[in-house]
Amino acid sequence: MNLSLVDPFVLAQDCPEVLAGRLRSGHSTSIRFSHRGDLLASGRHDGIIVIFDIETNGVARKLRGHTRQVQSLSWSTNDRYLLSAGQDWKCVLWDLKDGSRVRTVRFEAGIFIAELHPKNHMLFVAALFEDQPVLVDISSDVSVKRALPSAPRRPQIERENASEKQIAQDAKQTSTVTVFSPSGDYIVAGTNKGWLNIIDTETGQVQCSTRLTNNIIVFVRLTPSGRDAVVNSSDRIVRTLHLPDLTDPKLDFETLRVEVEHKFQDVVQRLSWNHVSFSSTGEYVAASTWMNHHIYIWERSQGSLVKILEGTKEELSVIEWHPYRPFVAAVGVDSGRVWLWSILQPQKWSALAPDFVEVEENVEYIEREDEFDIQPIEELHKRRLDQEDEEVDVLTIEPVKATTEFDASEFRMPVLLDIEASDSEDEVVAIGAGQFRRKSPGTGREWMNDDEVVGSGDEARKMAANGATAAQSGTKRRRAG
Amino acid sequence: MDDSPPKRYRSDEDHLEDYPPRKRSASRSTSPSNASPQYTLTERPARRHSRAGDSEDDRKYYRDRRGSRSRSRPKSRSRSISRRRSRSPSSTPPPPKPTELHYQPALILGGHKKGVSAVKISPDGRWIASCSADCTIKIWDAQTGKLEHTLEGHLAGISTISWSPDSKIIASGSDDKSIRLWDITTGQPHPTPFIGHHNYVYSLAFSPKGNMLVSGSYDEAVFLWDVRAARVMRSLPAHSDPVGGVDFVRDGTLIVSCANDGLIRVWDTATGQCLRTLVHENNAPVTSVRFSPNGKYVLAWTLDSCIRLWNYIDGKGKCIKTYQGHMNKKYSLGGAFGTYGPPPYQYAFVASGSEDKSIVLWDVSSKNVLQRLEGHTGAVLAVDTHPTEKIIVSGGLDRTVRVWRYNEDASNQPPVAATNGTET
Repeated sequence: MNLSLVDPFVLAQDCPEVLAGRLRSGHSTSIRFSHRGDLLASGRHDGIIVIFDIETNGVARKLRGHTRQVQSLSWSTNDRYLLSAGQDWKCVLWDLKDGSRVRTVRFEAGIFIAELHPKNHMLFVAALFEDQPVLVDISSDVSVKRALPSAPRRPQIERENASEKQIAQDAKQTSTVTVFSPSGDYIVAGTNKGWLNIIDTETGQVQCSTRLTNNIIVFVRLTPSGRDAVVNSSDRIVRTLHLPDLTDPKLDFETLRVEVEHKFQDVVQRLSWNHVSFSSTGEYVAASTWMNHHIYIWERSQGSLVKILEGTKEELSVIEWHPYRPFVAAVGVDSGRVWLWSILQPQKWSALAPDFVEVEENVEYIEREDEFDIQPIEELHKRRLDQEDEEVDVLTIEPVKATTEFDASEFRMPVLLDIEASDSEDEVVAIGAGQFRRKSPGTGREWMNDDEVVGSGDEARKMAANGATAAQSGTKRRRAG
Repeated sequence: MDDSPPKRYRSDEDHLEDYPPRKRSASRSTSPSNASPQYTLTERPARRHSRAGDSEDDRKYYRDRRGSRSRSRPKSRSRSISRRRSRSPSSTPPPPKPTELHYQPALILGGHKKGVSAVKISPDGRWIASCSADCTIKIWDAQTGKLEHTLEGHLAGISTISWSPDSKIIASGSDDKSIRLWDITTGQPHPTPFIGHHNYVYSLAFSPKGNMLVSGSYDEAVFLWDVRAARVMRSLPAHSDPVGGVDFVRDGTLIVSCANDGLIRVWDTATGQCLRTLVHENNAPVTSVRFSPNGKYVLAWTLDSCIRLWNYIDGKGKCIKTYQGHMNKKYSLGGAFGTYGPPPYQYAFVASGSEDKSIVLWDVSSKNVLQRLEGHTGAVLAVDTHPTEKIIVSGGLDRTVRVWRYNEDASNQPPVAATNGTET
């Protein structure tokens, strides 16, 4: 509702400019904005996930379940569920309505990234360390893991003439990153040999492969439309690609060629990129730099560098662009803070003084004919009241574009009042220069006990048991229900 | 009004005589008892309630309010519904816009020991909350009028209350300078009060998501609070006189505030910047302000016995309606928007209290007085309307909360006095 009042010049800005603030709760290692953009999930070094409210810059919820650093986060489309992957080789699906764990899935290898299916929050894909990626269905009690191929699909001729060595090499490839297309019908996967595979979610077959580089593909992110992809690889080049419309039923994968649109790199300083992100519309690409304090922002129409965001005194790792605002969040490697960049909105002083107008240059004032006529006050008053004859509609709610708006039927996370008291930073205490110790071993770690229960049994039952033990020990850390 | 009106007497000479000077440091030192308030209730173990269930959005609230006149209602009222339906006019395509309304007294809720300063119906329509100069908040069942809770803990009179969007929490602002949250299932206060204002808290509003609270105070500041952390998120350099009213717009992106300096300011929630200032030429003190249900207009009460509807969007803001016919010289009166008319034809009315002991209902567009509700024996300070049903609730200096129900049987019956009110 504020859009009609905000300065159009401010609204026209679509690229963040200045360091606007920071969020702090523990040592953050990965972040992700919710789809509606009002929440930011931050996975911490100690395995706790913190949900920040972007409107208040406060902590909205804490989720405890991982025992090691959180590697990746993924929101369900309605922002109710959050999937987290940790370095404890687990993926956890969280229900943010009550903060409970819907399901825990263990893996036999480290997880690079885990992404929820856009339409089905009980389905996710995970890229594993030195293993084939898996599509995990957790809709039934026992989670079903299906391995997906990483070997690229080569053209017909190459396939016929393939040497055994090549086949063996292809078989050794593993995927390092997997993401769903916006429709969820396809999975875009990057391999450690620089191939980009498009995998059919239904059949699990590679439909199309493109070799982008000889190096490892580190990260892939698609725009909300799914027609553009940004790829970060270890050869110090950030590539943007045009993808075909994967929802088109007439799409022929045999003739499909994925074209590289831009290659962004810094040839002078030979910078490598920690993490990349698209802007809300895909118009800009932002990347954090390795061993450097800067965020580079390129625009895609010309392929030129438009801005370098600075202000921090530390290297930045994960970078995230807000889903619809010119607002960038990035994680500091050393401090674990989340730094925020936004645009400056200067206060229009004329908004404070209604009888003044801001003019660019002098304007000659032309007096109205009756401006200084003296008229009886009652007359004026009556005339004014008579003029108030328009029909006023104070009820009809005009539909607004679904950016800041959210529907009543959609999920809204409850507001927890004791969230600050439940934690604070007192879990570790400093006992010397650079030395830290946990305050009281075991306190508040009841949630770790059930982590040893292997498999994915009835999580709800475990939750209840866990809640009971927590209540007994007198430290109520999590609100159950 | 002699027995300590819950809202300050706001003409200038009065506040010079009776009230601490506006300097913040001075106002602190004048009342040592208030400087370090001690809350007896904070020591109690506050039981947490579960917040299961999706909370209601206020847009839904208004949508229901508009569309569900004929939809299901609580069973206890089914009898009156059937009667109502049988009387409804049959097949007259565009029924004429009603020129008068027929609300009748239904309940008189007594119990407050001093004047009632605010009444609010919860967003889910189940409860009526009233707050008073006697330092208590009372929660009543909106249907039966049964007293559900008396919330005690403030050290001074309470000027304002606000429901959280999920109807589970009430925020209250008091003359003890603090804001408290109350869990209405247990009746217990939240252990951490919101401390920060240097003077009486006059006005409060929850954001539509319930994560923020805006407060206006006699110390001339408007604070935006992070509800979860109970800390001031942003201070809006608002006014140069005590702030009378604050409100959030429907989607939470705008805040409106008004003050005794006669200014109404519209703020951007996200940046804290003033986007618009509305001022009427004779600068009458503005004591209360409210966004319209669709968020496109602002309704403001001024101490020149006028209520003005402002279009704050177009141009530099324009007063488009002036509602007159009530008396408002001293107290900060409150009111609300309501709807009337046979569904699906919905018209809006403005309801306000008046110092002449009545409640006045105006049609929004024509500015005609639709009804005057008589019954209170003192100035009516607060009026609120039910989100879905045709119920008006009011409170005033006569220490009562009154519930008024719409009488569909038109005007042929003489008004029936309160039948099942819980008199105490």
